[in-house]
Amino acid sequence: MKATWTLLAALIRVTVRNRQGLFWTLFFPVVLMVVFSFLGNSTSHINIAVVEAPGTSSPVVSVLKKSPGFALHRMDRTRALAEVRSGQMDAALFIPNTRTGGGSSTLTLRYNNANLIAGQETVGSVTAFIAQVNVALSGRPPAYRIAAAPMAKSRASTYLDFLLPGVLALMVMQNSLFGIGSGLTRWKEKGILRRFRVTPLKPVEFLGATVLNYIAVGFATSVIIIGLATGLLHATVVLPLLALFLVLLLGMACFLAIGFIVAGVAKTQEATIPIVNLISFPMMFLSGIFFPVSSLPKTLSHIVHYFPLTYVAGALRGLMSGQLTLVSGAMRADLLGMAAWLVIAGLIAARVWRWE
Amino acid sequence: MGTCMHNAVLRLENLTKRYGSVLAVDHLNLEVPPGQIFSLLGPNGAGKTTTLEMTEGLRPPDDGHVYLGNVDVIRHPAVARLRFGVQLQTSAFFELLTVRETLELFGNLYPGPLPVSDLITRMGLEEKAGARVEALSGGQRQRLALGVALVNDPEVVFLDEPSAGLDPQARRNLWDVILGLKAEGRTVVLTTHYMDEAEVLSDRLAIMDHGRVLDAGTPRELIERHLPAAMIELDPDVAIGADPSGIPGVLSIERRGEATVLVTERLEEALVSLVSWAGREGRELRGLRTRGATLEDVFLKLTGRSLRE
Repeated sequence: MKATWTLLAALIRVTVRNRQGLFWTLFFPVVLMVVFSFLGNSTSHINIAVVEAPGTSSPVVSVLKKSPGFALHRMDRTRALAEVRSGQMDAALFIPNTRTGGGSSTLTLRYNNANLIAGQETVGSVTAFIAQVNVALSGRPPAYRIAAAPMAKSRASTYLDFLLPGVLALMVMQNSLFGIGSGLTRWKEKGILRRFRVTPLKPVEFLGATVLNYIAVGFATSVIIIGLATGLLHATVVLPLLALFLVLLLGMACFLAIGFIVAGVAKTQEATIPIVNLISFPMMFLSGIFFPVSSLPKTLSHIVHYFPLTYVAGALRGLMSGQLTLVSGAMRADLLGMAAWLVIAGLIAARVWRWE
Repeated sequence: MGTCMHNAVLRLENLTKRYGSVLAVDHLNLEVPPGQIFSLLGPNGAGKTTTLEMTEGLRPPDDGHVYLGNVDVIRHPAVARLRFGVQLQTSAFFELLTVRETLELFGNLYPGPLPVSDLITRMGLEEKAGARVEALSGGQRQRLALGVALVNDPEVVFLDEPSAGLDPQARRNLWDVILGLKAEGRTVVLTTHYMDEAEVLSDRLAIMDHGRVLDAGTPRELIERHLPAAMIELDPDVAIGADPSGIPGVLSIERRGEATVLVTERLEEALVSLVSWAGREGRELRGLRTRGATLEDVFLKLTGRSLRE
């Protein structure tokens, strides 16, 4: 037992010193999340081009200016139309010089309609605002008022929230699969394993320390990824720590077992790379990391449903979206799927594993 | 061979290993007395490494036994491993650990390891103690491997081709360290395909080829047993046939690359008749020199081939 801890401490030291390895473990998940978080977070205010006669300033404009929901940009008619068309402005508001008959005045709003929902949002916001201005100018108390208050802890489901559990699952797969499949084969190839075999260290102690090392790396990386996503990129996910710990552990165990199969079959580290890629690439794109499995063609999604990464990503997403707990019925399928993969891959690994 | 040693520290009995239809090690028997340096000498592919790996419990034999003292190494490798240290032919350490960390790691796998700082001093690695393995030269790596083989204060040390790939200076340093191990009372078993290494280090040696021990003994015993003769050497361009009958006292004439070798058991008589042959034939005896038989001659006689092939 003491030998296992001694070796584990040495392995962790080796892992931490392997800057290149750490970089690649973290680089991919982090870049993915940062890129997609920018895509998801569009600007929160509405850009409005204001076109009015030079030297005049309508009271409507001065009230609009005070509202945090609008950003006003004064410009001439031609430019305003061009910028709305090209999407730089959400809308252009044309304010006539004088009030025409009856004291009523028509403000023309031309809005960008590329995105139907965003377009309606713009029109709605401006209309509501102008209605407010009308009431205020009339000098009479409004028939109804709205008391609006923000909901505490309210969450918007962004793409990053969808992506985060997927990226975690992806990292779990890569770390375990490459770590054992490629890393252990490298040690085998170089003769490091042989050297330990002529010491009193038992084989099971060596493998135990190796597995614990990759599990420790997996958890440390998970903490960094979750911390970055929630702390800096404002992902809003639920974090039931114990349940996440168990699902991550089971997921890692699955892929470590598959990694041992690779390390047992491949003779050289070079030979492991295509094998690991062959295993991980289809799952990376199909197993619901970047888009839901349900959006795949039906026949394909039936197959993909049984992939180990699909189970891991599904379980993590269930937990982190707050929709499922470990005892939910929908969770049971994912947990059983992972357990089945662990047992089957473990049995195969035990058969094909070779020390030399 | 033959004589049974009752105090042997290591005994290989009938050790056999097959790879397919090839007998890599063929019913091999050896006894190694304690406190000596014992060499397995043979060309590449002779079965030296396979023999050593079976002795270390690293490779299961198809037949035979290995005893370290009273311990059956093949049945109880874990017990035996506490008492021996190993330097493998190709063993690597974690590139990103330092020399000191590597020695500490391996020391912690044994009960009662030697102090790491002593090992570092002994191997002359003081300046590299804090350096990572990736930054070591070939000679320094070899010394680290030897240091790791000593962490458990072993009574028997196995060294597989310890000086492979080292420059001449590093080899000499290594020989001093190995002779130092003997001075401490340890038994050293090494494999080599360098004749000079075997000559400098060995108290006893076994000449191996094709998985068998052709003969074993002290260097002197081997020479006297197989070649009680002396050698007369000439430059290879001296025109002399392969037929020794015109030169009384000479047993045979062989061409060996850089010299023509005349084998004799009566050096004086052979020299006199060689000189008179040269006078008769009008030849100049360029490069004339004499020497006693060496291990290399014994090796050549036993295996029919040169070590360097």
